[in-house]
Amino acid sequence: MKSIKRGQRLIAFILVAFIIGMIVLVVRIQRESAFYMSHNTHKVIGNVYDKNGDVLFDGSGDFSKYEDKHFIDVGNLIGDNTGQMSNTLVAKNLEKLNNYSFSTGLVENGGKSAIYTSLDHYANKAVYNAFENKKGCAVAYDYITGEILVCVSLPSVDIAKGYANIAEFETGTLISKNLYGTVPGSTQKIPTLIAALETIGEEKLLDKTYNCTGSYVNMNGQTIKCHKSEGHGEQNITKAFANSCNPFYAQLVEDSELPLDSIKKSFNSLGYSINGKKKNYISIDGINCETASTTLENSSDFDTQWGCIGQGDTLVSPVQMILWNSAVANETGRMTMPYLIDHITNVKGKITDRAETKYSDSIFDANTAEAAKKIMLENGKNYTESISGYELGIKSGTAQVKNGEEENSLLTGFVNDRRHPIAFCVLIEDKKSGNVKTEQIVKCMLDSLCS
Amino acid sequence: MYKNGLSYVTSCLFVLIAHCAMLALVLFNGNYTETKDVVTLAGVVISLDLVYFIVMLFYKQMTYSIDCMLLLILNMSLIFQSCFGGVELAKKHLITCIAALIACRLGYIICRNHTLIQTKKKYIFIINLIIILCILTLTGSRSIWIDLGFMTIQPSEFLKPAFILSCSTSIIEQQKKTKVLCFNVVKENIVLTGLIILIVGLQWWCRDLGSLPTFIAIYLCGLMFRFCYPKAKFSKKILVIIGVISAILIVLALKFAPSYVQDRLNVDIWNDKSGNGYQQSRALIAIAEGGWFGKGPGNGNLHNIAASDTDIVFSSICEEWGLLFALMMIIVILSMLILPLINPPRSYFHTTVTTGVCGAFIVQMALNIFGSCNMIPFTGVTIPFISQGGSSMVTSGFMIGMVIAGQSPVFKRHKRKRRSKGGAK
Amino acid sequence: MSTFNVMLSAIAIIMLDICVLVLIFSAYRERHTGKKRWSKIGGDMELVEPGKTYPLECDEIIIGRHASADIRLMDMSVSRYHALLTVCNGVWTIKDIGSKSGIYINGSRVKQARLCENDIIKLGKYKLTIRKRRNGNNV
Repeated sequence: MKSIKRGQRLIAFILVAFIIGMIVLVVRIQRESAFYMSHNTHKVIGNVYDKNGDVLFDGSGDFSKYEDKHFIDVGNLIGDNTGQMSNTLVAKNLEKLNNYSFSTGLVENGGKSAIYTSLDHYANKAVYNAFENKKGCAVAYDYITGEILVCVSLPSVDIAKGYANIAEFETGTLISKNLYGTVPGSTQKIPTLIAALETIGEEKLLDKTYNCTGSYVNMNGQTIKCHKSEGHGEQNITKAFANSCNPFYAQLVEDSELPLDSIKKSFNSLGYSINGKKKNYISIDGINCETASTTLENSSDFDTQWGCIGQGDTLVSPVQMILWNSAVANETGRMTMPYLIDHITNVKGKITDRAETKYSDSIFDANTAEAAKKIMLENGKNYTESISGYELGIKSGTAQVKNGEEENSLLTGFVNDRRHPIAFCVLIEDKKSGNVKTEQIVKCMLDSLCS
Repeated sequence: MYKNGLSYVTSCLFVLIAHCAMLALVLFNGNYTETKDVVTLAGVVISLDLVYFIVMLFYKQMTYSIDCMLLLILNMSLIFQSCFGGVELAKKHLITCIAALIACRLGYIICRNHTLIQTKKKYIFIINLIIILCILTLTGSRSIWIDLGFMTIQPSEFLKPAFILSCSTSIIEQQKKTKVLCFNVVKENIVLTGLIILIVGLQWWCRDLGSLPTFIAIYLCGLMFRFCYPKAKFSKKILVIIGVISAILIVLALKFAPSYVQDRLNVDIWNDKSGNGYQQSRALIAIAEGGWFGKGPGNGNLHNIAASDTDIVFSSICEEWGLLFALMMIIVILSMLILPLINPPRSYFHTTVTTGVCGAFIVQMALNIFGSCNMIPFTGVTIPFISQGGSSMVTSGFMIGMVIAGQSPVFKRHKRKRRSKGGAK
Repeated sequence: MSTFNVMLSAIAIIMLDICVLVLIFSAYRERHTGKKRWSKIGGDMELVEPGKTYPLECDEIIIGRHASADIRLMDMSVSRYHALLTVCNGVWTIKDIGSKSGIYINGSRVKQARLCENDIIKLGKYKLTIRKRRNGNNV
């Protein structure tokens, strides 16, 4: 009868709810069991390889069969499973390296779990050695596919030697500087150029000229100095970009045709966190990479103008710079999203995850990209001697850090060649203290990647 | 026995075969030093089976399938419990299993005549109050245990069947309305609501919030039967209102819960592996280690962890026997609750009892399993029949007895009352 | 875990599975005995309205106009909850549960009455007969 049936329906409902819960549980256990196992004390870790099959990390922990400093070039990017470094490939993907699956359990011997990265170990080593005794970082990726090819940061850690003398490590040893914000110097003029192109339009912007006398007193009465004290004279955007003319950019920011709101809008879509907003991160196969941040408060203010020129509060990570370069170099206004892991094999040797090229949403207009590319390529012509053999779109930069005590040298750009679509960024810390130049490192990097 | 002798024998036989298959698994895969241990276990399990099969013959029941299921699950749990960290007969668990079987028979005998129970309803409420008083007075310093020296009793467990019985109702009872102020209400419903408020208050005071959801589930089942059927005038509206109110209450309760509860609610177990998340993270790792078929009985490591045979028993079984076995165990308990759907009770009272039991079992299992697997906050409730613990086993047995009573009810009234024109009260 | 061990585990799981299925199946068979027993308790009765029969399948049956009533009589002359049928030892009793138009058994109004076979129950404009179940009707 109805009364009883109602009761039965209620029982059935309770049972069905529970069964659904159980199904969810089983699916969850299936999916996350590898993650659970990565927290187990007993693990059997597989290897990390570069794109040519060279070992970048040996899960067995036996490093004796490798030559000295075999791992040092990418030590602070690939990392290891000791837990000393948290934002590294191995630390973030430990569950995928573990020779475990729910159906096979933990395989002690002969498990085939491995990560095959897109890195080129030969090129990384070459770049690492090219730094000589300098500190800094260099990153390069394929702006068509998104494969990260070189990612070196000095000083680096040799995972084969362990952490016995961790107290003596220099600051920045255990992180890859490519992933963290740094003062961009004049390389910041690329985003400012993009913002100006977006707002004013290519033709009008090319017609605009400002005079540089070596220094410029802005509307608030503050002085913006140029690195060339006698001044560049009458400048248009192409020249000013090549000369890295600060007064030109200060005047451009003050121009009523480039209102601050539209700069903010452009910077926002470029990924900046403006005026202390929460920072964004790009995830590269689980590794967190900082984007960019700056202060933009008032067009005629000193700090805001310097923010657009590349000093002050502005911070940009090298990886973020090469992403912008990709959007320019591809002439699409979309960033090619980077990846480090080409594919992963599971414990049975079956390929599980294969990387796919992904693009960001449009961060600026395709026309803007085209125009910016022209200007950058124009500037690249100045480097035909120092980096011979490549058609480059380039921007150099000098960033004052530690209250002006040290100057970092930056060079970011792209190779305009569909066969070698490489976007790069090189940073040398404290450039005055040695003879190594960013151009040399770029040259070395491109040569080793393109050979 | 009702003309299904053959079916009875086949049922018993298959229960025996299932147990033998498990024992064979213990023998070949198990971790033991002496075969003697396995043989003892096998002897105990099989003799318990046989004895209960014979005892059951003395009861005139319409269905025996729930009894068979009960025996199946009890001996399964005996085997599970005996194998944690090495095969050895879990004597304590054996005793509680036997106690559970006796309690089941008791529950059956008490509940099979629902008219009798209905006339004694006020005694049930009194029993409830007595148990609450026991909790208030006998347990030391706001805890939930009564220490008798040789054993500890958890009186709040015994409150469950008593509360289910007081939640159950019949249609006649719901028609006895009295006018209070300007509302026509059933007095018994008010008393019941008072009781649940009392219980909630008590549990809050005892800091035993784990079993609170069970009581609330039982109460909600009872409430559904009160509002949905005999007073269905406002059924849907009332349902929505109840839903909204309970959602608000839960949110409020979680917001203003004491700090030790809050701590448990917001635990990121993987970042707090050695603190609050210790048991859960170890439990999940154990499930992952076990895989589909487990490491073999007695080969697990989880038995070193506190509450491995109660709160995280699901993970212990997963580790040693595999996820498939653990799921089978759940299926056996669920099919025990599905059987009333196949053979429906014939009275409203028994329907309410069955639903109450079903609600209590399911909520307990859900809290335990999902809690230990970090899907919901971790509480210290037991899985009926599987977790170790005397009070829980006995009450679970009693509750299943009540379900069996619903399957094989007795319809008898005192002759005096049947004849009288005054009506059956 | 060797293949043998996995096989053994699989066999044990399958045995358990079969056991559960057998028990559920036997529960289905026991359904039949349950019905027989009920027809003994319920006196094998049914309510008949011209053109319609209502089986009596549980021990408390509400007759009324409301959607949730077990036997629903759709007419304004019937109260929402009109009458309650209860059974014990094969004898059905009808009880008025606050109806407006009352219950008439064989013509006389009652508050509560035991029903005998072929009694005619009048609820509002409906006339129902209680009688032994005829062959061919399924419970």
